[in-house]
Amino acid sequence: MGFLSPPPVRKLPLAGEDTARVVEPNGNGASSFVSSGRRAVASTSLAVDRMQVEELSIAYGSKLAVDSVSLPIRQGEVLALIGPSGCGKTTLLRSLNRLTELTKTASLKGRITLDGDDTATFEPTSLRRRVTMVFQQPNPFPMSVFDNVAFVLREQASRRPRKRELKGAVEDALRRAGLWDEVKHDLAHPALRLSGGQQQRLCIARALAANPEVLLLDEPCSALDPQSTQVIEDLIVQLREEVAVVIVTHNLQQAYRIADYVAFMYLGELVEYGPAEQVFGAPKQERTREYVSGAFG
Amino acid sequence: MATQVHDDPGARALRADRRAELMLGALVLGVLGFVLLLIVFVFREAWPSFANNGLLWFANGDDFDREIEEIFMSANLLQEPVYDFRAWPILWSTIVITTLSVVISFIAALFVSVFVVEFAPEWMRRILEPVIRLLASVPSVILGLLGVLILVPFIGEQLITDDQRREVSYVVSLSGYSLLAGVLILSLMIAPLMIAVFVDGLRSVPRGWLEGALGLGVNRWRTFWKIGVRTARPALVAGTVLATARAIGESIMLAMVCGGVGFAPNPADGLIFFLEPAKPIPAAILQASEELTSPPMRDTIFAMASILLFSSLVLSLAGWAVKQPMKKYGVRS
Ligand SMILES: Nc1ncnc2c1ncn2[C@@H]1O[C@H](COP(=O)(O)OP(=O)(O)OP(=O)(O)O)[C@@H](O)[C@H]1O
Ligand SMILES: [Mg+2]
Repeated sequence: MGFLSPPPVRKLPLAGEDTARVVEPNGNGASSFVSSGRRAVASTSLAVDRMQVEELSIAYGSKLAVDSVSLPIRQGEVLALIGPSGCGKTTLLRSLNRLTELTKTASLKGRITLDGDDTATFEPTSLRRRVTMVFQQPNPFPMSVFDNVAFVLREQASRRPRKRELKGAVEDALRRAGLWDEVKHDLAHPALRLSGGQQQRLCIARALAANPEVLLLDEPCSALDPQSTQVIEDLIVQLREEVAVVIVTHNLQQAYRIADYVAFMYLGELVEYGPAEQVFGAPKQERTREYVSGAFG
Repeated sequence: MATQVHDDPGARALRADRRAELMLGALVLGVLGFVLLLIVFVFREAWPSFANNGLLWFANGDDFDREIEEIFMSANLLQEPVYDFRAWPILWSTIVITTLSVVISFIAALFVSVFVVEFAPEWMRRILEPVIRLLASVPSVILGLLGVLILVPFIGEQLITDDQRREVSYVVSLSGYSLLAGVLILSLMIAPLMIAVFVDGLRSVPRGWLEGALGLGVNRWRTFWKIGVRTARPALVAGTVLATARAIGESIMLAMVCGGVGFAPNPADGLIFFLEPAKPIPAAILQASEELTSPPMRDTIFAMASILLFSSLVLSLAGWAVKQPMKKYGVRS
């Protein structure tokens, strides 16, 4: 298993160093977009192992959705999960904060640790406070925009905070998700009457307000225009310093732009895991090569 | 072939649509007209009773049952009909019994339905739900029988002490037929109704909203309380209105277990209040309905009925009004 080889702590390149060292397409079918558009790493960081997935298998009834997957999740790096529809990306993501337990038919084998502790031993609520999820379908609560973001702040507070005290945190979260300018005039607007893309950003703002240690994003940009996508991508890149970020995306260019590590899944198996340059530039597996090139013709 | 405009299938479907629309509209108008006629009829029949008593109609009198007796008898004598009627005992009985049982069963139903939907294991849910639906459809006369055979004797023999009997003996005798028996059985009767409606409401809360809150690290109970119950509020209102309507209108069971004495239970008596007999409006109507042949009695009965009709109108309106602000943040925009 080659992907277990990267050491737990890895020094990212210093600012100004040539990080966009692009692996040249090696002519045997690797994707063509690798030569363009890779972001420059802005600052230094130590990548720290936060979570470890070990031999994880998840089945719905008798149907295996994730098949003995092992991979590390690090703070300081963005991990992108890619793969065709139905290959188990969402299932894997949901298992990281034990949301799979809500599905009655789901059963899980293997181990997931957070900072060395088995997540199965956590109280689910405290685990999910640290490992927070943004869902594939935007699911804002049937409340105002303000209350959507304030909800988690109110729940986390030991005594009920006043609206005035929450204002700052709510504004900050909405700004970071790139939604503030559109909603600042009417924070009492019903969240369900926002557009799909606005709802998606509201859900991201909500997750940010929770101030997690690991942020799980399931296709956060699927309903967004290029400009909002840019805001979210910048946010993710900037967040990875304080938060371990895992993002599921169908957009390979996006994975290439923002991810440090990429995991390619196929029919529940982890086919390839490695640095983004390697997975996109010089995939080791035939199936990966087909996927990253096939998707772009 | 003759491709006339009328025979083209699109136009035909359109005409069928129009026809269905017209028929539905006529049906709605018919129902509305019927309700209106009903209201006009009941209030017209009730008018002599209100006109003769004025606002005193709603006041408290000396002896409710004697008033009824005199109204009934007055038709048989060669004299002016008597209309003197003071409805407070039955109004008060209705208010107290309905309020208490709606409050009790609302709280119980809320907890039971949250438990059934979110916390009960699968096998328990499979048993509970049909049982609740069955309970909701038990005829009230059967519950009344059980009350008379079990609850009333229990209250009469175990709960009421001789001291209590003596304390209020100058106004009323305590037998076990009581407010308490009525409230308990009525709660048992309307709670399943509420639970059934609440459960449907809670179950239709989108999973995504609940998972969204859980995924943010909010615990299960808080999630269900703040998102589930909050979202299901319109269903809670609907179930409560339905149950309240049934409680206000319940006659036979309450006539059986509340004692049938036209007496206004007195809160000043402390705990004895709950052990005193009562007679809510529907029970009073039921007991008086054999005497419809006497014209003044008939008018008085219609006056009581008009109060019931009025309260059910108010109830529906209140339910509608309470739901309005809830729509603002809901799905239906
Ligand atoms: N609740 C469920 N019950 C039963 N099977 C499920 C359930 N959720 C997912 N599956 C199955 O598990 C497999 C993986 O699903 P998953 O949602 O993880 O895919 P995905 O990679 O996220 O796909 P997409 O890119 O379309 O979102 C699929 O074959 C799916 O049919
Ligand atoms: Mg998915």
